[in-house]
Amino acid sequence: MTPTVEIEGDVGRVVLSGQFDFSAHREFRQVCETLIADPSVKEVLVDFQNVNYLDSSALGMLLLLKEKIGVANKSLALVNCRDTVKQVLEIACFGKIFTIR
Amino acid sequence: MKILVVDDTEAVLLLISRFVEALGHVAIVARDGAEAVDTWRRERPDLVLMDMMMPVLSGPEAAIAIKQEAGESWVPVVFVTGIGEENRLAEAIERGGDDYINKPVNFRVLEAKLKAFDRTLELNRKVREQSAKLADYYDRAEEEKRVVRHLMEQMVNAERLYDPQLEYWLTPAESLSGDLIAAARTPGQALYVLLADGIGHGLTAALNVLPLTQPFYSMTEKGYAISDILTEMNNKVRQVLPVGRFVCVVLIAIDEANGCVDVWNGGMPAVQLIGADGGTQHSWKSSHLPLGIVPTAAMDVIPERYYLEGSCTVVAYSDGLTEARNPLGEAFGVQRLFDLIARTAPGARMGEVQQVLAEHLDGEPHHDDISLIMAHCGLPQPTAREMARGPAVEPLRLPSQLEPEWRYSMQLGASELRHINTVPFMMSFINKVLGQHESQSDVFLILTELFVNALDHGVLGLDSAIKREPDGIEQYLVERARRLSELRHGFVEIDLAGLRVEGEYYLHIVVKDSGTGFDASSWLDTDLAKAGGLSGRGIALVRSLCATVFYRGPGNEVHAYYRVRE
Repeated sequence: MTPTVEIEGDVGRVVLSGQFDFSAHREFRQVCETLIADPSVKEVLVDFQNVNYLDSSALGMLLLLKEKIGVANKSLALVNCRDTVKQVLEIACFGKIFTIR
Repeated sequence: MKILVVDDTEAVLLLISRFVEALGHVAIVARDGAEAVDTWRRERPDLVLMDMMMPVLSGPEAAIAIKQEAGESWVPVVFVTGIGEENRLAEAIERGGDDYINKPVNFRVLEAKLKAFDRTLELNRKVREQSAKLADYYDRAEEEKRVVRHLMEQMVNAERLYDPQLEYWLTPAESLSGDLIAAARTPGQALYVLLADGIGHGLTAALNVLPLTQPFYSMTEKGYAISDILTEMNNKVRQVLPVGRFVCVVLIAIDEANGCVDVWNGGMPAVQLIGADGGTQHSWKSSHLPLGIVPTAAMDVIPERYYLEGSCTVVAYSDGLTEARNPLGEAFGVQRLFDLIARTAPGARMGEVQQVLAEHLDGEPHHDDISLIMAHCGLPQPTAREMARGPAVEPLRLPSQLEPEWRYSMQLGASELRHINTVPFMMSFINKVLGQHESQSDVFLILTELFVNALDHGVLGLDSAIKREPDGIEQYLVERARRLSELRHGFVEIDLAGLRVEGEYYLHIVVKDSGTGFDASSWLDTDLAKAGGLSGRGIALVRSLCATVFYRGPGNEVHAYYRVRE
């Protein structure tokens, strides 16, 4: 999986595809760090449009991202979650700590 | 580099070694093949520059001997060849030579070749260093795994997991499991079962679940509620694990004496209650975040309660089971699991699931740890324990003067009642004094019932009648929590004493509260067997366990004498 980054105004979007698991760890961290370091980006969206599978280490990466985004004073939302992804997020009750749209 | 120069012609030998030294290398010399092998053995040079035709041992023969002795480490051998030796040269290179240079020696070419070998030697050294490091890492990782596996086995304690009510199955995806199953009984004989799934697999996943076992076992043993255990486990996990690490947890409390099951589900697949007919009677969906994500103060640790009707089975599993894929990539699925359970007799369900999953996987390895728990409830056995024992407890005739061997009393005010979990706290003391298992669980039950009555009905003024209405239990618990949080006045006094009457050892328990009291006579007369429903069982239970139970004053002071089975 190679995540891509799109920046529109003050919104940075990380578009993921395929399986989001530990193998995506390094690329995901790199693109997120680029967005966090960019002062013009105020909101980061993680776009699950093309993700068909998500595992528990991906949830861990999201938690880490949330922590870093918080430190950088930006906001974060998870968007375009398809059914399988939504299910995993629901079981983990991530709706309680993440904005999911 | 240290270079071994071998030639039987003194002039050539001198010429080449001087040149090599001029390039900044160290030259050592030998005058025939046999001497070359000896010198190599003694000096271990990095490279050998060797004539082919020599007395005693020829160049190619010496090269083979040197290569054989060098083994794993690479020693380049460069032949210095005269005209007409081409045929033997090809053979020599095939058998271990690395390169050649023609006589008369072109020193520009020799210099270039030495440089090239220097680079390759450096690369070779690096590769060897790295592969040694890798092998070292591997050994160390294996050793760490071995230690953690041992640790896990000790902490999970399979012996303790044995319980007639419980069936379980756990197969790790790697040699270490990130899934954890633990089970233990409280002093009141409730069965607590923990199923946890740490993120990832292998060593780090196993480390994630380790902090859970100790609070689980030690607090269950003391009779803490599962909310208290969750609080402690979340504290531990947050203390120990870094951000981004968390543990999905299901904690189940099966209390057959009160006919109810409490489940707290944080991030695990839904726990299902399966009736005798195989259908789902109730399901506990994940309604909480996994442990380790939010601070304990922000957590809701109240479990969801369900009252049992008839015999049934609580089924809990980790997602590794339903996500196990067959060679075509198709997941085992929740539907298949519960269809299977529905059409199989209760006792055969575990075996059936294992077999069908094996058929489904068809030799394919499962990528995540698989665990499955089936806890059976409402079996016709320990529930009737206290009733069957009724007549064995002789009514106690109290002499007028009694000198206790020891006394332990305390009074809890409003603020203590709000946050101290009194009974488990007192049980640590009781355990030290009585030190006998069967009596401990009786005393736990008696203390729990009397304390809950004093607090709920005496201090908080709650009416048990609420429980009989539809949704009554829910309403009762909400009201109880509200009144407790607003409590500003009131107290509960507990007085324990150990004494001997006619050679028998008794525990005298007095519980007094600040309430207005109640008429206990009708409750005391109720037979436990008939005290059905959701209220009134408590006092009947205490009475059946004790030699004597009576109330004093307006009914806000209860005395219970329990004969300790020594």
